[in-house]
Amino acid sequence: MGSKPKQKDYEASGSEKASAAVAQAEYKYFKEKYDPLLQQMRDSSLKDTSTDSLRARANADTMQALTKPSAARAMRGADGGDIAQAYQGQLGIANTSGKDIQNKMQTNVLGTARGQASDAQSGMAQASNLATSQSLTRAKNNQAVSDAKMTAVGQVAGAALMKGMQNKATTGQKDTGKVDAAGKPIMETVQGGFFSPVDDAGNKVSGFGSRLAASNFFGGG
Amino acid sequence: MTIGIAQDGRASLGSLYGNENIGGDYINNLPAATDPDKIYEQMTRQEYLDYVENYRGFEEQLIEKAQTDTSLIDAARTDSQAAAGLMSGVSDRNASRYGVNLTPAQRQERGRSLNRANTLGGVQSITDARVNQREANQAQLADLINIGQGVNRSSQSQMGSAAANATQRKNAYDTAKANSKAQTYSTLGGLGAMAIMAFAF
Repeated sequence: MGSKPKQKDYEASGSEKASAAVAQAEYKYFKEKYDPLLQQMRDSSLKDTSTDSLRARANADTMQALTKPSAARAMRGADGGDIAQAYQGQLGIANTSGKDIQNKMQTNVLGTARGQASDAQSGMAQASNLATSQSLTRAKNNQAVSDAKMTAVGQVAGAALMKGMQNKATTGQKDTGKVDAAGKPIMETVQGGFFSPVDDAGNKVSGFGSRLAASNFFGGG
Repeated sequence: MTIGIAQDGRASLGSLYGNENIGGDYINNLPAATDPDKIYEQMTRQEYLDYVENYRGFEEQLIEKAQTDTSLIDAARTDSQAAAGLMSGVSDRNASRYGVNLTPAQRQERGRSLNRANTLGGVQSITDARVNQREANQAQLADLINIGQGVNRSSQSQMGSAAANATQRKNAYDTAKANSKAQTYSTLGGLGAMAIMAFAF
């Protein structure tokens, strides 16, 4: 007949005791170190600071892209509307991205607290590739087109002015049909006008072909 | 950092973490978990109490917000109102920087153009905000439902284990009772048989 059971034989093994002791210590450590951090994250997720940062960035982007001082735009004075649209579009994107970050942070906190998986990313990286709204691109394009138009108008006006001055500078000797005492024909110096040059004989150059020939544009006559 | 090697060849954790003073037997120095079952019970209760105290309100707030939040739409409205004044100022400053004097007619036309663009921009940004708000709210609600579903699943699993254990214990108890009864009857039967044998002969 065997001896009666001994309690010692039913004790946990050394490894079991160690596992239980470690588990208890880890639990205590988690409660002391990580639980307060999670509560801090919970509180900060309720304050919407990421949206503020993204809005500031969106505002800076819009202003940098669209409010460069330009005399042409100042004279035109009509691109404020484009900037207003772009500004609203960019702020809308910033608000949406900020809301997304905040929502993710909140569900991460709750997921961790409830023992579910957490993304463990703040989403603030979105700030670096904040999408550009259609309206900002459109406003940029409008400004580029307007600036190009102004430049083209300036170039055409400059060329016309230069050509007019060249026309005025042309001179020719025109026979008056009279003769002097020595019997030589009396010549009169004729000056070209702004719109029409004169040839050497003092005649106004008219007609497309004659003007082209007089302009020396293709190397002359 | 040096890693100290003890005589038995194991690296000492103290030197591994750069602190020579924290060597020693960590496990044996830990407070013993003398009654793991009791400790686990306390941990489970404490976890739930902590959740109720620290996160229940937060969770309810999120569920409410996911269904009623209009912050994106509100912000778009506010931005739309602010944009007109802001951009009019930008145009005025730009004009004054270059000494441009607009005629009253030009000034009026510029104001009209700015108002028109701002109204259209406002309409677009508020419409976009409505769409984005709906999407954000639905995404958050879906995330919350996922979390809730995960919790529900693990709770059901825990409850399943508890129910299985309870059934097992009840069955074991019934079996033990039946065995005990059988043993009692068997003993009584044996005693009775012995008594009959003793008195009958």
